Amino acid sequence: MAEHTLVGHRVPRIDSLDKATGQARYTADLTLPRMLYGKVLRSPHAHARILNIDASKAERLRGVKAVVTGRDTAGVRWGVFRYTRDQQLLTGDKVRYIGEDVAAVAAEDEETAMEALELIEVDYEVLPAVFGPLEAMQEGAPQIHDHAENNINIHVPIEVGDVEKGFKKSYHVREDRFVDSEYTYCQTEPYAVLVNCDLSGNLEIWTPNASPHTKAKALSNLLEMPLTKVKVRRICTGGAFGGRSDIFPGEFIAALMALKAARPVKLVYTREESFTSVRQAHSMIVDLKTGVRKDGTLLANEIKVIMDGGAYSSTGPIATSVPFLVWEETYRLPNVRFNGYRVYTNKPVRGMYRCHGRAFLGGLGMQLDMIAEELGIDPVEMRLRNALRTGDTQATGSKIISCGLSEALQQAAEKSGWKEKRGKLPFGKGIGMGANGMMVGFPMGIRGGSSAMIKFNEDGGATLISGVVDTGSGNDSMVVQIAADVLGLKMEDVNLVSADSEITPLDQGAYSQAAAFVSANAAMAAAIDAREQILNIASDMLDATVEELGLRDGYVYMKERPERNIWMGKAIRKALMDDTPIMGRGSYMPKIDQTREWVSNPKGQQAGTFSFGAVVAEVEVDAETGQVRVSNVTGAHDCGFAINPMAVEGQLEGSVASGGVGATLLEEHYWDGGQMLNASMLEYKVPLSVDMPQITPIIVESMDPEGPFGAKEAGLWGSMNMFQAIGNAIYDAVGVWIKDFPITPDKVLAALEERNRD
Amino acid sequence: MEKRLIHLSVNGDEYDVVVRPNQTLLEVLREDLELTGAKEGCGEGACGTCTVLLEGKPVRSCLTLAVEAQGKQIETVEGLASDGELHPVQKAFIEHGAIQCGFCTPAMILTTKAFLEENPNPSEGEARRAISGVVCRCTGYAKIVAAMMATAGEL
Ligand code: FES
Ligand code: FES
Repeated sequence: MAEHTLVGHRVPRIDSLDKATGQARYTADLTLPRMLYGKVLRSPHAHARILNIDASKAERLRGVKAVVTGRDTAGVRWGVFRYTRDQQLLTGDKVRYIGEDVAAVAAEDEETAMEALELIEVDYEVLPAVFGPLEAMQEGAPQIHDHAENNINIHVPIEVGDVEKGFKKSYHVREDRFVDSEYTYCQTEPYAVLVNCDLSGNLEIWTPNASPHTKAKALSNLLEMPLTKVKVRRICTGGAFGGRSDIFPGEFIAALMALKAARPVKLVYTREESFTSVRQAHSMIVDLKTGVRKDGTLLANEIKVIMDGGAYSSTGPIATSVPFLVWEETYRLPNVRFNGYRVYTNKPVRGMYRCHGRAFLGGLGMQLDMIAEELGIDPVEMRLRNALRTGDTQATGSKIISCGLSEALQQAAEKSGWKEKRGKLPFGKGIGMGANGMMVGFPMGIRGGSSAMIKFNEDGGATLISGVVDTGSGNDSMVVQIAADVLGLKMEDVNLVSADSEITPLDQGAYSQAAAFVSANAAMAAAIDAREQILNIASDMLDATVEELGLRDGYVYMKERPERNIWMGKAIRKALMDDTPIMGRGSYMPKIDQTREWVSNPKGQQAGTFSFGAVVAEVEVDAETGQVRVSNVTGAHDCGFAINPMAVEGQLEGSVASGGVGATLLEEHYWDGGQMLNASMLEYKVPLSVDMPQITPIIVESMDPEGPFGAKEAGLWGSMNMFQAIGNAIYDAVGVWIKDFPITPDKVLAALEERNRD
Repeated sequence: MEKRLIHLSVNGDEYDVVVRPNQTLLEVLREDLELTGAKEGCGEGACGTCTVLLEGKPVRSCLTLAVEAQGKQIETVEGLASDGELHPVQKAFIEHGAIQCGFCTPAMILTTKAFLEENPNPSEGEARRAISGVVCRCTGYAKIVAAMMATAGEL
């Protein structure tokens, strides 16, 4: 990549100056003239019928400008899919979890809004509630939604090959159950939304989000307003990790109040509300049966997953499928049966999380190690034997067009000193491996592609207009880096307008790991288009063919005779005079099977491409206290090509915190029935700087044939395979398998005691 | 609650503000002075994103009453760059890729500045401990610690 001045280099991100100086604006930082402050009244019951709401006293309180209840919105239901429309964003008839939105107030100040909430009288008829998926599936359990018998929300059945035959032919078969509890995104920025409306019927929305276009579409449907009038604006987002994707009651409620009061309304959630009333990650019960040949080759898998989905669907069909998909995206599975059930309970709503599926992926990766040990095979060898390779087809039909999994496995093993350490460290110290593959984008219809434009100023500077969304991982900077590289400009000469549902073209948003593949491809295509136009004009001016020309440092030059050059601004001016202004235009739609559907048709090309990774974790286990400390992590990830290696590494490092130390060892919620007991950052423990291991990132570049410059994705590097690595390392350290995540000291001690008893 | 007039000195500028006695420094900075660099991540002293410097020492402004800050020098992230020059800690954070979503960044930078002024040549472990009161959910702290170590000795 020597010819590239920017792409492939470690460059500071374009957004970091604003963020380092306090100038970056997040939703709660915004104020508008005559802005009102909103507050939401939440359900104190896990399951209850609403008999009556009387808000008249609140409406009369001085300073209150709008009160909304379910009566204002009766019948309006939200669901990510047509078949999952089960949530009234302001509930009218029933509450289904503690913390659900029942009514809201907008007032001149926050104190008044809070006072008004206390004046709203709600009569509830408390109903029996159910708090676990197994109980909820039993005959006679309280039914949470009329349409869902046995409270089954989503069932994803997938079957490939002949599973029974596979088990019959297996030399060795193993069955295990893995479980985990709920955990949370806990982005540092709490949920917030600001809505402005004007008398021409325009609605402007600022809220931390992973896709302004998705939010705008949903709000336009729910409010029955034209999409053209619903404008979700760009705003800095303080982390997403999958938790800012679908539509939440907050933006709907704030919009209703802004429309009612005809004034801007800002609604900022407390940390407690962000915990209970936005999204959490699912808990799971996972039953795994795996059959292998004597040499460790996988022959049959039977997998059953029961997920606690909470009160509503959210992204349920995706959430139920993804753990399985990530597994078939890693290994060759000739015969596999998957049954995923997402079950309604009277708990808050669960969504997709960056390290989604710890019981599932941790379980499968640990079971692989158990089998490897039983057969006397090295875990690295076991993975290499089953790893997908370029040209393979996954169980449900996706072709792999580039795959650096074997290389990632080998490099992670080599750089971590696997051979010298595995099974050879003193008691209490251990080393373990994990691996996974990852879809880069998935079927989202018209919203699955991205487009971009580039325009120029007469001084040679450019503005890239892209739908790309940056929730913190560096997507904004990435598209600018690409456009500047293609156009021979400096990054500071390229402005970016992004993530505004009115101004910027459609883009899938910052989820499904698609930004570096899809959004960046679109931005690159727009830059190439503009470049061709510039070179065409310049070829006349320099009396040369387009092929003879290059672009560098704002000049068009002849490659053979660089002293023959013109300033790009000149070509841009000439194009304006000639009435052929230079405007780059590009788009990219990944080559996926658009008929693929999560539940009804889980077959066909799932994503444009797939990324792959392997991690090795080293742990120290204190057998006295049960405390596990991760001391080293070596991670190798096939991101296709690292557009900005510094940003790519940052993704692994963040993943080691959230997926590794956090999700594997620390993070979980405690409950009393439907009441979350630790909806506070004092009690919900997330990794701190002192909890973190030394991290060695290794970038593997498989140069994807479709990706921009070969790039795929790096966002989920490590976050989905750290569980296995740490679980396996603990076994290597002290000889016990912990099958219940997070692996807290009490579980380690209990397992050690049990082993000592036997 | 009776409001009262207080005098605050922030980033070398003097302000008269009318506050309620129970108003936190964070609220006054963000709402009255429109200095929104300090963030409210939790409002209960746990996350550290509201960190500002009081007499050069990091404090959680969500747990500090505005009235308590009277007569003391308050520094926020907005005051760090001077004459268009970034502070070395800001530069290091930018160059080392220590900033992702940026929500923790003002607190991390201010905490680092105060720490390095006290302890110009720390070990990596000391640097890690210094920022252990500020939560970052994006970076895994690796590049933040790298930026801290790169600035060590420069202040
Ligand atoms: S907002 Fe002050 S510590 Fe979290
Ligand atoms: S950069 Fe996002 S919380 Fe630190």
